Amino acid sequence: MSAREFGEVWALSQLSPGIHLVALAGLIGQRVAGWRGAVASVAGMMIPAAAITVGLTAAYGLVAAAPLAKSALAGLAPVTGGMTIATAALLVRATARRGARHAIADVAVAAATAAASMLFGIPTVAAIAAGAAIGALALGRERSPSRETPMG
Amino acid sequence: MDPLLLLLVFLKASALSIGGLSSLPLLRADLVIPGFATDEQVVQAIAIGRISTGPNGLYIVSLGYLVGGITGAAMALAAATFPPLVVVPAAALARKWLLTTPVAGLVRGVALATAGLLVATGLGIVNATGAPAWWQIALAAIATVLTYRGTIHPAFVIAIGVAAGLALGR
Repeated sequence: MSAREFGEVWALSQLSPGIHLVALAGLIGQRVAGWRGAVASVAGMMIPAAAITVGLTAAYGLVAAAPLAKSALAGLAPVTGGMTIATAALLVRATARRGARHAIADVAVAAATAAASMLFGIPTVAAIAAGAAIGALALGRERSPSRETPMG
Repeated sequence: MDPLLLLLVFLKASALSIGGLSSLPLLRADLVIPGFATDEQVVQAIAIGRISTGPNGLYIVSLGYLVGGITGAAMALAAATFPPLVVVPAAALARKWLLTTPVAGLVRGVALATAGLLVATGLGIVNATGAPAWWQIALAAIATVLTYRGTIHPAFVIAIGVAAGLALGR
C-alpha cells in the first residue's frame, strides 16, 4: 500500500460513524486482502482489546463495593469529566478549519451546541441532526488555496 | 435491561457519533437519564476504557458489561464494530462522492455538535453527585489540561484521580 493510498483510506475512515480506527482497519484489510482481510484486521483489533476491557471491568467489580473504592470514585469522576471535556477540545482542534472566519464559524457551532444542551436541554439526537444540517449546508468549504497563499 | 434493547441503544450511539468517545452524550441520554445505568458506572467505564488496550471508544464494552454482564459486553462490541464498517462498501461504491464538499461539511458539523455535547456531558459527570468540592474542580481542570496536551499516559491521569479520591474523598 502506497503512502498516497494510505492517505486516502485514512481520509475515508474519518468519515465513518463510530470508532474511526475500526473503519481504518476494515479499509486497510479490504485493500490488502479483500473482505477476508477486512474481517481479519477488524477482529484482530477488536476481540483482544474487548476481552481485556471486560477482564479489567470484572476485576474492578470485585472491589467496587469496598469503601476505599467509593472514595477513589470521588476522585475518578472529576478526572473522567475533565477527560471528556478535553476530548471535546481535541475534536474541535482536529475538525475546525484554518483561517479566522472559518474557524470562528466552526467553534461557534460547537459552543452553540454546548449552550443549547446545558441551558435548554435540547435532545442529543436533535443537536447532532442540527450539526449535520448546518455542516452540509455551510461548513464544507475550505478556504481556497489561492487566497491562502500570499502573492508576491 | 433487555439485551436487544441494549443492542439498539448502543447501535444508535455508535451510528450517530463520529469518533471514539463521541457516543458518550447519546449513551448518557439513553442509559443514565432513564435509570438503566448510573453516572458511577459511566465514570468506571470511561476510566477502564482509557486504561485498557485498543481504541478509547471501547469504553462502551466496559459499560455494556456493567449494565448487562457478558451479554451486554457482546452487544456493545457488536455495536462498536459494525457501524464504522459501512464505510468499506461505501468507499468501494461511491468513493468520489464521499470526498465531496457537502459530505466533508456534514461530518464536520456532526463532529462540532458532538464536541459541544461532550462539554455538556463532561460537566454533567463532574456535577453528577451534587456540587463538586474545590479539590474535585481542581482535579477536573488538571485532567482536562493533561488530556488535551496528551504528553502523559491516561492511566497516570486516572491514577492521580484515584490517589486524590483516596486522600480527600468522603
